[in-house]
Amino acid sequence: MRFSKILKTASLFSVILLIILSVNYQANAADKENCLMCHKYRFLGRINEEGKKVNYNVDENLYGQSVHRNVPCRDCHTHITKLPHDPVTEEVSCANECHIKPPFAKENFSHKKIIEVYNNSVHSIKPEDPPEVKEAKPYCKYCHFDPLYEKVEEERVAFEETLSRCLNCHEEKGVTQAYKHITHRLRHKTSRPPQEIVKLCSKNCHENVELMKTFKVSKESLDAVETYKRSIHGKAVVLGSQEAADCVSCHATSSIHDVYKKDDPKATVNKANLTKTCKQCHEKVDERFIQIDVHSKIAREEKPVLYLVNIGLKFTFYGTIFGLMGLAFLETISRKKDGIKWLLRHGTTWRGKSKRKPKE
Amino acid sequence: MAVSSENIEISSKETEAGADYTYVEGVGNIPRDMYKYVKSDPLGDLPRYSVHIVIQHFLIFITFLTLASTGLPLHFSDLWWAPYVMSLFGGSDSARLIHRIAAGIMIIAAVYHLITLIAGTIDKILNKRFDIKKTQIPRKKDLEDLIHDIKYFLGYEQYRPKMEKFMYKQKVHYLAILWGTSVMVTAGLTLLAPETMAKVWPNPRFFQDLARLMHADEAIMAMSVVVFWHWSNVHLVPGRFPLQWTFLTGKITREHQIEEHFLEYLNNLKEIPEEREYMKNLLKEKGFEAERR
Repeated sequence: MRFSKILKTASLFSVILLIILSVNYQANAADKENCLMCHKYRFLGRINEEGKKVNYNVDENLYGQSVHRNVPCRDCHTHITKLPHDPVTEEVSCANECHIKPPFAKENFSHKKIIEVYNNSVHSIKPEDPPEVKEAKPYCKYCHFDPLYEKVEEERVAFEETLSRCLNCHEEKGVTQAYKHITHRLRHKTSRPPQEIVKLCSKNCHENVELMKTFKVSKESLDAVETYKRSIHGKAVVLGSQEAADCVSCHATSSIHDVYKKDDPKATVNKANLTKTCKQCHEKVDERFIQIDVHSKIAREEKPVLYLVNIGLKFTFYGTIFGLMGLAFLETISRKKDGIKWLLRHGTTWRGKSKRKPKE
Repeated sequence: MAVSSENIEISSKETEAGADYTYVEGVGNIPRDMYKYVKSDPLGDLPRYSVHIVIQHFLIFITFLTLASTGLPLHFSDLWWAPYVMSLFGGSDSARLIHRIAAGIMIIAAVYHLITLIAGTIDKILNKRFDIKKTQIPRKKDLEDLIHDIKYFLGYEQYRPKMEKFMYKQKVHYLAILWGTSVMVTAGLTLLAPETMAKVWPNPRFFQDLARLMHADEAIMAMSVVVFWHWSNVHLVPGRFPLQWTFLTGKITREHQIEEHFLEYLNNLKEIPEEREYMKNLLKEKGFEAERR
């Protein structure tokens, strides 16, 4: 009687366990209009006019985990009006309003605000730009679709700074409350580690001197990546520091996208704004401190005195080392010849026979 | 160890054959190459450094290695081994902290050394025992000793020069450390607190760059001199291999003292009766007593 009771309980538990294990947490994308009916097929695609293969498959699992999971397809792909739709010719605009209302907001969500900041910055595409420059300038997707930009790892919280980032898009009231709720998600000026920021800015762009020449950037900007990596900020970041300054720490405010040229009064690295910019980390900043060169390069033309000092130090170094080692070498040879052994044994090291010629 | 301040007559004489004897009253004629005949204890026979100097050396030794191993990977951050060395110290943010703590201890050791040095000198001046020849201050004789020694190594001289407690090698090294430590501390402070030092330097832009240059250069220089010269001189050359115990015991072996610090050995003979007794008996045993003129 008792045995069958135990058996019953055990089988009940195993059934529950089986149900729990077999539940599949499938991510569900917002697809009211059932676009996935066609786009779920993995080899949905065509060969376009240029002879390139294009795949139109949308992986529901991947999309369901992305930040845009709650945005219906046609909120961004607005030009699609009928089914089956015509070939897509226009790019998606990130400045579109979508039918998502952020928490505590009255208006529909849009990236409009940050795109305005971007459009004013040095990175924006200007009508007077020559075509190759237009081609090379980064647009939203250039950075945000970069494989470097897929995963965020966050550890600590810097409340004020990060909140000011939220306010780039969200309304202040409410989002502050919501943000308090989720602050553990964010830290620092950028949510990404400085190593990724440096890589994103330098790789294929700022470290490519030939490409930078087409933009007619200043001489300092041409060497910027190299001089940064030689600076104490750069070295600390290369070796894994989370505290040292990366590119956007100095070159943008907390809206991140407002990078300007040095001469522009809006630029964070403009002389007038340097005190404020440096103050983010260096607390006791004054007029004298901001004279210090951050992207320092000791070259013959710009810093002749330091250049000569550097050469002098090199000569002193090699002179000293080889001089001293030569002396030690000479001394050892001579003493060995005089009959000294290496080890002190039986109370003496002078156990050998001297081969020195006596003085005449 | 008994110290006697009695006056003992010392005179040196070169014979016709070029042999160099030093006569010490109550001991006998000591030939210049006596170091080949004496018995030595590897742990050291004669006093050289006080316990303060041993402690200071130990502090500098530990902090120097710490500073070198936390600083080098930063300087060579683009080389493959740098991140591995950094991770030994818990990443670059904690290595930075360790570097600063070690620097603080090194500065404390340097101040400790200066205090010992100044207090010791005042004590010696008050007791009328101060002798400029026994200090680290460079003299004309040091240059002459160096030339004499090089001549000896090349075979043009028969004996090594008679040198004081600190010979030319030690003076060069000591003065280099004085200069190097001052530069490292000043440049290091400039890198540590650029805001404050920008108020001090007349031209912050120039001096910050100079500090960056000098801190790295002096560090590499100091490390290379320590590794290639200091270590080989004190631990690797014949007679010191595999380890000279002086840095722990504060004592020097008898043969080393006579070979490189002959004049200091004569001072030891004056001050230590046991050493006089030992040398007298040894001279008799080896038959040098007969050559007294």
